[in-house]
Amino acid sequence: MTSLARADDLAAAPLARENCAVSVETKSGVFGFDCAPGETLLYAGLRHGLTLPHECATGTCGTCRGRVMTGEVDVAWEEAPGAARLKRDKGDVLLCQTRAVGDCVLRVPAEVAAKPARHQIPAYRTGLMENIRRLTGDVISFEVALSAPMDFDAGQFVVVEAPGLEGARAYSMVNFTRSADRIELVVKRKPSGGFGDWLFGATAEGAKVKVFGPLGRATFHADEHKNLLMIAGGSGIAGMMSILASAAEADHFRTRKGYVFFGVRTLADGFYLQEFAQRVAEAQGNLEVTLALSHEDPAGADHPDHPGVKLASGMVHEVAGRAMAGRYDDLIAYVAGPPPMVDGALRTLITQGGLSPSAIRYDKFG
Amino acid sequence: MSWTYLCDAADVAPNSLKLVDANDIRVVVANYGSGFRAIPPICPHMEEPLDESGVIANCVLTCTKHLWAWNLISLELLGETEKPLKTYELKEEDGKLLAFIAEELTYDFEEEDDMDDDFFSKS
Repeated sequence: MTSLARADDLAAAPLARENCAVSVETKSGVFGFDCAPGETLLYAGLRHGLTLPHECATGTCGTCRGRVMTGEVDVAWEEAPGAARLKRDKGDVLLCQTRAVGDCVLRVPAEVAAKPARHQIPAYRTGLMENIRRLTGDVISFEVALSAPMDFDAGQFVVVEAPGLEGARAYSMVNFTRSADRIELVVKRKPSGGFGDWLFGATAEGAKVKVFGPLGRATFHADEHKNLLMIAGGSGIAGMMSILASAAEADHFRTRKGYVFFGVRTLADGFYLQEFAQRVAEAQGNLEVTLALSHEDPAGADHPDHPGVKLASGMVHEVAGRAMAGRYDDLIAYVAGPPPMVDGALRTLITQGGLSPSAIRYDKFG
Repeated sequence: MSWTYLCDAADVAPNSLKLVDANDIRVVVANYGSGFRAIPPICPHMEEPLDESGVIANCVLTCTKHLWAWNLISLELLGETEKPLKTYELKEEDGKLLAFIAEELTYDFEEEDDMDDDFFSKS
């Protein structure tokens, strides 16, 4: 996904040497929390349970806007895309990119609760990189063995920082289990992608990383009893795998339908196909999985090696739009992938599916 | 100013948006099937250009960037939408759409300040 709190800037910053006391004025009252040396104001508030507004937690979306009323702070990444519209002269900052240098008072123009209504309170953990394996030519999966178990909802993500690498990056969990002592994540390598290059190199296995989470609201909850539509491109499939695992555990597809549309370029770019075939078989006709190929015409309607996985030609949101006509009843749609794909999928869901925003869940990274 | 020509009604297909220039004021015309709205050209959330980011279905305008949405008949705010949609008064005469533009409607991203003192509870 996205990211970057610049490590070189972090190193040069005038960091506080001890905890700072932060007071945050919100539309629903005043809250206080401690911010550790080097810690961002957003993460500090979130790990104390406060529901501070945020989406990406990595500088791109601009949702975690706040104003520094008193006190000194340090902004890690001045050029963060999400900071473009800030009124800097008035002290506005992105809380995910700002650390306290001393005690400070903030304002956040939103209703904030003392703890989340539904999701877990995020926390820091350390972890060891394990089982790094290549899934396709440019997709790699890895596990992080966590220093302490983590509960999360299917569809959530964590922010990962690796030593010596610029940036904190957000990755959705692939697996789903309660009190998880390891999480599986997946990365699609991009040109000059620092974390991807590192993963594809020799030093990542066994390396120690820092993990913050769980984060994200694009989550699955079996007790909502909805049909599920998932449209994903590339590594965006990660959270969908977690949702499928959670749904299978809850026997969700005994009474509900599931539709997965997974967009890749060619047949050779598909991954998790064995897992999909197994899920389809388990769901006894109530789960459809379609691999949409954007740059190749498939030879047949079914995957040659993975029975139960259908094949289609075209952009994944277009494939989904054609296949879903007339089948949007009583469902929640999950969307993840590259921004143009997400945009296309949202248009399809709203205009063709007639879905309201409350029936669409995706993490707003742009 | 007064009633200003925007475009012909036939220029805006049902369930679509069109950006027009009305005497140097940029206006988006929204055709929601059973009627039209004339609105400022950007989303009041994060200034997305609505003629590109907006979609209309079931008389609802949704900005696809972050799913802020408004019912174009009632102007009700839907879902997590936090700001109302501003509209120009609009009429159709002989197939032509006219808006009453006394002054350009803006969302005052710079002037408005949701960090003001009275915005916060004093507990």
